[in-house]
Amino acid sequence: MAAQTELLGHYDPGAADRRASAVGWLARAVAFAPVLLLVLVLPAHSGDWTNDAIFAAIYAMVGLSMNVLVGYTGQISLGQQAFLGIGALTAANVVHTGTNVPDPFTFALGMVAAIAVSAGGALVLGAVALRIRGLYLALVTLVFGSVTADAIFTIPALNGNDAGVSAYRPSAITPDYSYYLFALAMVGVCVYVDVWIRRSKVGRGLIALRDNELVASAYGINVLSYKLLGFVLSGAMAGLAGGVFAFWSQEFSDKDFTAAAGFNKALIFVVMVVVGGLGNRAGVIAAAAFFALVDPLFAGIAHHTGWLDFYTNHKAYISNVIGAVLLLQTVIFNPGGLGQVLRPFTKWFAGHRFSMHDEHGDAAAAALAGSSDVRA
Amino acid sequence: MHELATAFSTQSNLLTPIITGIANGSAYGLLGLGLVLLYKSNRIFNFAQGEFATIAAIVAYVFDHGTGFVPKLPYFVAIALGILAATLTAMATERLVIRPLFHRPRVVLVVATIGVALFLIGVEGMLPYPQTASLRTISDVLNVQSYVFRVDNVVVLDQDLAKFLALVLLAIAAFLFFRYTPTGTAILAVSQDATAARVVGISVERISMTTWAIAGLLGGVAGVLLAVPPSGSVTPGSLTGLTLTVAFSAAVLGGMTSLPGAFVGGLGIGLIESFANADHSFVPGLNSLPTAQAEVAVAVVLLVVLLVRPRGLLGKEA
Repeated sequence: MAAQTELLGHYDPGAADRRASAVGWLARAVAFAPVLLLVLVLPAHSGDWTNDAIFAAIYAMVGLSMNVLVGYTGQISLGQQAFLGIGALTAANVVHTGTNVPDPFTFALGMVAAIAVSAGGALVLGAVALRIRGLYLALVTLVFGSVTADAIFTIPALNGNDAGVSAYRPSAITPDYSYYLFALAMVGVCVYVDVWIRRSKVGRGLIALRDNELVASAYGINVLSYKLLGFVLSGAMAGLAGGVFAFWSQEFSDKDFTAAAGFNKALIFVVMVVVGGLGNRAGVIAAAAFFALVDPLFAGIAHHTGWLDFYTNHKAYISNVIGAVLLLQTVIFNPGGLGQVLRPFTKWFAGHRFSMHDEHGDAAAAALAGSSDVRA
Repeated sequence: MHELATAFSTQSNLLTPIITGIANGSAYGLLGLGLVLLYKSNRIFNFAQGEFATIAAIVAYVFDHGTGFVPKLPYFVAIALGILAATLTAMATERLVIRPLFHRPRVVLVVATIGVALFLIGVEGMLPYPQTASLRTISDVLNVQSYVFRVDNVVVLDQDLAKFLALVLLAIAAFLFFRYTPTGTAILAVSQDATAARVVGISVERISMTTWAIAGLLGGVAGVLLAVPPSGSVTPGSLTGLTLTVAFSAAVLGGMTSLPGAFVGGLGIGLIESFANADHSFVPGLNSLPTAQAEVAVAVVLLVVLLVRPRGLLGKEA
């Protein structure tokens, strides 16, 4: 309960006790070096690694978009892959230059269009879905995801007559590593939006709504428009991720989003936001990157341990089991998710004292643990 | 300019869609029964229902064929073992996943059932047996011709008839169970107020276990009936990815709280799908519908039901 009242105020618990000394900051910088090494230097190592790292960045963006929706507004979505797809489809079709390299302006236009069309799609879905009460929203988003992919992405005019629409990158970011840095910058944009949501009136309104709709509306929060805003922001982020996805794979293909491929994505997106910890930025990014890298990681392990045959035959199922076990472990034993586990460290890096005891527990985690009913 | 409309034929424009629709609809109804049971008793959507069914089909298939160290058993014993396996899986799910989350918000339970579904798909996929489980039909086993009767030259397959009859019987049985047996009444009592039910001496834990066991049983029956050719074979995740969403729509159409509703909704959705997919060329202008028209039709029905009549056709409350 204390955690909830805390969130209604300005969200910066204990700003006053940020008193790391110069040496303390140096220690933090040194301790942070391995993280930077992992994120910036390792992907430069080889082409495959860069590719995987870009994919992880895309998943991180999707994770953040799920975080806005599930973590802050408490609405569950099983159709987030549709917005990723809409973004990819729009970006590829706007840029559509055949085999030529687009100029930066067209590229930027494609990205903006990807964001705008996804946000528009989210607005339409939200306007309908938010009139539906309770857990039924989960069903509606599930159906929305599969219908969008199967009915719209398969239109020949939009998917290059089933052959895929090419999406080449402008020359400045054609090399994989440059594109990776661009993707990281886009993750940065999403993080910034996430931080802004959390700190602004909007975020406080959304969180108040999530915790208790009746009380929030009594405080003058417009329930429908706030929730709609949450939907649109989340859709826009996923659309941005979709744009990055299109130029990563350098084409849009409906096969990435239809049938089992789309369904699997939808489930993995839910899994990663729960495993990461609802409402917890760092946890969600880490979990998203992990799920993006599960396949290459296990391919590597299998390669070195002689399990390669087993791995290649059961590739799709291994990440399923890992995701499922982590998800069940999280909801049963560790409702705060990875974010809760990382929290002492993230707080330390932010300049707080290192403490395993966190009196400002996350409200989302508390809600998931049952102190209040997260509305679905 | 549209092509000239072809002539309407009773056989291909009416009878075939009806028979296909009833056959597919029975499948949705069978899966829907389990969904309705768990919604009625726990107020949750069980995303693992499709995999309960898949497990039954796979276990029955393995025992019917006898691979590796698994002995080959008589067909009906294999079927029974399959259904038993689904029931036990559902009971294990209740004990290991649902019960620790008993007092959490329902959305957490729903997310947990998604986890269970993913887990079961993964485990099924990693077992060493052929990935596609397709069971023999009863007519194969008994060595008789594979259709029972014809309606105006349209063949009605015995496996489709079996699905339909099973759905009718199970829907009636489940309805009577909730109406007349002490256990059924106790399940409803727990769903309305667990604490009050405990006060009058009902073991909430045992009731929860019973409910999930029945849901697993229903899922198992659905699984062994759906995994027969030509319409059906089951691979890990196929029922969850393709059939479960439609089964949910069927259950919503019928009313999530009504077991006969699963029957009505199942057939309704099945018919809507088959008519959307059928040959429309006799209607001028409708001869080139976009792709995925059946899926769109089902989605529209789901939305309309949820917006206009959230309790469905036969349900009691939203």
